[in-house]
Amino acid sequence: MTIVRALTARQLFLIVLGLAVLSALPLVLSPSLVNAAIKMLIAALFALAFSLAMGQAGMLSFGHSAYYGIGAFAALHLMKAVEGHVLAWPTPLVPLVGATAGLLAGIVFGWFATRRTGVYFAMVTLALAELLFTLAPSWNSVFGGESGISTMRMPSWAFSFGDDTHVYYLTLAWVALSAWCLWAFRGTPMGRLAVAMRENEHRVRFLGFNTHLARTLVFAISAMFTGVAGALLAIANEASNYTIFSTQASANVVLQTFIGGAGTFLGPALGAAVMTFFARVTSDLTRSWLLYQGLIFVLVMLFVPDGFGGLISMHVRRLHGAAIKHLVLPYLLCVAVGLLIIAGVVFMIESAYVLLSDAYVAQRRGAGGAVVPYHLLGWKFDPLSPLTWSLSAVPLFIGGALLPFTKRQTELAWSRALDESEQ
Amino acid sequence: MRKLLSVLALASAGSLLAGEATAEPVKLAIIESLSGGQAPVGKMFLSAVNYGLIKLNDEKAWPDGFRLLEYDNQGGASEASDKVKAAINDGANIIIQGASSAIGGQITGDVLKHNMRNPGKEVIYLNVGAEAMEFTGPKCHFYHFRWNGNAEIRLRAMLVAMKDANVLGKRVYVIGQNYSWGRDVQRLVHEYTSFGGYTVVGDTIHDVNKIQDFAPYVAKIKEAAPDTVITGNWSSDLLLLMKAAGDAGLKVRFASYWLDQPGNIANAGATALGHYNVSSFNAEANGEATAAFAEDFKAKTGQYPVFVQGHTVHGIWGLGEALMMLKPGPDGRLSVKQLAFAMEKVRFDTSMGEIAMRPEDHQALLPLAVSVVSKDAKYKVDGTDMGFKPVRLIPGREAAGPVQPSCNMERPPAS
Amino acid sequence: MEFFVISALNGVVHGLLLFMVSAGLTLIFGMMGVLNFAHAWFYMIGAYIGFTCTRTIGFWPGLIAAPIIVGACGVLIERFMLRRVHRFGHAHELLLTFGLAFIIEEVIKLFYGDFPVNYAMPEYMKFAAFTLYEIDYPFYRLFMGGVAIVIFAVLYLLLTRTRVGLIVRAATHRPSMVEALGHNLPVVFMGVFAVGAGLAGLAGAVAGAFFPTGPNMGVDFGTLVFVVVVVGGLGSLEGALLASLLIGLFMSFSVGFNKSLADLLGLVGLGDWAHEVGGLLTLELSTIAASTPFLLMLLVLLFRPAGLLGDRQ
Repeated sequence: MTIVRALTARQLFLIVLGLAVLSALPLVLSPSLVNAAIKMLIAALFALAFSLAMGQAGMLSFGHSAYYGIGAFAALHLMKAVEGHVLAWPTPLVPLVGATAGLLAGIVFGWFATRRTGVYFAMVTLALAELLFTLAPSWNSVFGGESGISTMRMPSWAFSFGDDTHVYYLTLAWVALSAWCLWAFRGTPMGRLAVAMRENEHRVRFLGFNTHLARTLVFAISAMFTGVAGALLAIANEASNYTIFSTQASANVVLQTFIGGAGTFLGPALGAAVMTFFARVTSDLTRSWLLYQGLIFVLVMLFVPDGFGGLISMHVRRLHGAAIKHLVLPYLLCVAVGLLIIAGVVFMIESAYVLLSDAYVAQRRGAGGAVVPYHLLGWKFDPLSPLTWSLSAVPLFIGGALLPFTKRQTELAWSRALDESEQ
Repeated sequence: MRKLLSVLALASAGSLLAGEATAEPVKLAIIESLSGGQAPVGKMFLSAVNYGLIKLNDEKAWPDGFRLLEYDNQGGASEASDKVKAAINDGANIIIQGASSAIGGQITGDVLKHNMRNPGKEVIYLNVGAEAMEFTGPKCHFYHFRWNGNAEIRLRAMLVAMKDANVLGKRVYVIGQNYSWGRDVQRLVHEYTSFGGYTVVGDTIHDVNKIQDFAPYVAKIKEAAPDTVITGNWSSDLLLLMKAAGDAGLKVRFASYWLDQPGNIANAGATALGHYNVSSFNAEANGEATAAFAEDFKAKTGQYPVFVQGHTVHGIWGLGEALMMLKPGPDGRLSVKQLAFAMEKVRFDTSMGEIAMRPEDHQALLPLAVSVVSKDAKYKVDGTDMGFKPVRLIPGREAAGPVQPSCNMERPPAS
Repeated sequence: MEFFVISALNGVVHGLLLFMVSAGLTLIFGMMGVLNFAHAWFYMIGAYIGFTCTRTIGFWPGLIAAPIIVGACGVLIERFMLRRVHRFGHAHELLLTFGLAFIIEEVIKLFYGDFPVNYAMPEYMKFAAFTLYEIDYPFYRLFMGGVAIVIFAVLYLLLTRTRVGLIVRAATHRPSMVEALGHNLPVVFMGVFAVGAGLAGLAGAVAGAFFPTGPNMGVDFGTLVFVVVVVGGLGSLEGALLASLLIGLFMSFSVGFNKSLADLLGLVGLGDWAHEVGGLLTLELSTIAASTPFLLMLLVLLFRPAGLLGDRQ
């Protein structure tokens, strides 16, 4: 973890550029994609908040969905009160109540959880989230039972919030603000203490700090921003139910953080945004998308342990000047080989799905047990013809054969690039 | 994969035809659980909807045809909400969903809010599976239509048939899952004691899909010594409960709502014999008519209609009936408001009997078949030697319960 | 009295089943510190292998094939995946096994469909062992309990009375020392993982014939096995047995308990107030029976993190 430096001019420029691009998105995207962008921003904030506890303080929390859900329900109750004219509260400030609820829950749960470390800490957080998950459906007054709580956004500050675009800008504002807070936290003494505790807790304790209190506070701050993310989700969906507390949701944020790279600041946000979008898009394209998602998880854990953010960070840190030009060709080769292998695997899996499905079995029965051609992507394939299987085998074979060569070329290119960077 | 190509083809075709005021096919969106735990049920809804649309296309219920867009809600309410917005963005104005009352609740709320915020661009929600009472109670609204049964309709049908066949007995035990549906069933069983002429000797609520070992619950049931056990359980909860009862040698009759889910009879085996079930379709219930429907369904989809598929097909046909009363507007598009007004008046005959939509709460009055698991059934299920032998076919109006007072439907002006 | 006896019997057998599934995980977790999220999915693979064998070569060959095949899968996973990821930390291992769980479930759904399959024990095993208070007790439950006890006995003897067991136990406490003494530590780890996975496979083949075998088996058991391992103590076989029995009995008894916190408060006169407050206080124990293991896990973690019989911190 690099020591937090003041932002360079170049970094500042990139941040402003990024914010400008994000602000301009609703002007060019369709409403459905704006909705997707809202969800991606929320997932990114969740991952950033989680990464505060995980990446910075080394606390693997496996039940962070508890604070996400608590933030969401707190926001929903407030919105219901506003809707019923019991209370007057501007809609843009609703995430504040999510933050408060998350902070309180984080203090209470965190105080218990941080009495243990490592794997035990993870188990405690898991148990707390599971308890909430199993109790919530029965606690109707707070969690609305199985169908949850539903409400409507009320207009505030000259915005009607009936349009997703308004919700997008609200979400963007809060996510940017929270991200800035989280970034700034890294430079504070508390933030540095969190890193110290991750590296060597005993030593920190010997220096006189109350590590239990410190870890509770860091955890509570992480829970606070998670609560903000939950509140933003409640505003976007105008409803939530107890399934927000599921282990699935907790596990998803951990996965997204690591795919993005737990060691960098923006890595988790990147991982969250990409995986959210991936799930949304592929779930409509293919029924086997969970299999692809599982494969991605396994492959990233095996071959890209620092995550994609870590990968990018490595390039930025170690390559200077025009050294990157050495890598262009090998990377193009990598992409080509990757596409070949992906094409082969996808074809194989999709074909297997069709061939093993009930509809195809019915077709075969209709043809008296004969092996009939199957449909995929609008084309017909004969399962027994070698041509069909070569469509899968050939790309895989070529890709696989080129893999060692590609690896070697990339390594060579890297050493050349590093040499040049050193000069 | 096919969807991607069709979307691409549509986009390119659309760009070619830009500027021409061509006729518009009606776009339906099915937002179902097509992956994850509920996927098998979601896929059944999908295949039933596809089958239903065949008749609508044949009879040209809409001059420019139909396009069905498929969306996977991944079994979650938040994702379902995303897909509703995606579907509306893709031009769909009819949303269909069935598996899971929780997701149905999210969708019906989203549809209501969208219609409030976008007058003139309304969408309609055809509910073909969420059976909790609240959809035609406190959550009812003008653009929601329920084409499946609900807890009350099914219970009434079951009680009428079983009382008639003298198998209900005087002592009833109710066991259910701890959520809206299970609690609805429990409450209704208590309310219908005089209707059914029984007393409730015990009731239990348990966690949904978490209990592996139902033996303790069977012990409790045995202690209460009921004649009939009524349960709204589905999936593994129902299966495990029945198996535990069979293993313990408990001689009691089960009256269930979802016994005909594929896989249940195969897994339960001979334990299932003698248990009662109420369903929206039974191939043997009405002689030639239902047999013909079943055979045609099998010819086009590869299997007999089971479980939720009967009423889903009828729901699509109900949509067709409503569309036949309408004509495309000057821009070639369908007016959803007019569709809703038309759908309220729909009444048509099916192989099971007459189906009518009740305008007060948008609950379909559908006929139900109460059947018993038996080796004498004509249509065997799950590759076993058992099937569902119909005991009685209850017409829609007899099964229907009263309109819930909690439903205050706001109607738009009929212009 | 009747309720007590029946619940006790059911609880014990259910606990033994839990032990069968978790025995492997406590070894793996305790010895290698690997959070194998996919353990319940090994159980599922075992059940499906049992199903396939019953349809082709027979029920008993299935009971032999399942642990062997699942154990072999375990070897491959440990050798080529977990070993690579081990140095990156616990989180990476956990996430890798999480991804594996997805893959296993989806591949099984690909080949066997989304619905539960009819995996049943042979006809001659479908009888009642005895009748208690007019309720038949199926023989197969006793069979499952028996297999679990045999597994425990074999493992216990293996660990305490053989040389291999000595090495394994030593590697749990002092892995580098064991390596320094000349033993091939990676092979020991691989062996433990294989045995653990194989046990889960055997549990699947045995239990799958009784409980419905379907693609949701992994999810149903997934977190419960972690609870058993944590409550019993990482690496302690006796602890896992004790914890499984405790959880089984607890879940079994709480089903009959139609009392809630409000009723408890009624003993001190606050009953009416508690009922009025509602919410959590009026939740009956029988309704939330399946959530009690997590409460137990929480209590153990907070007050005795080493588990009931564990001896490591």
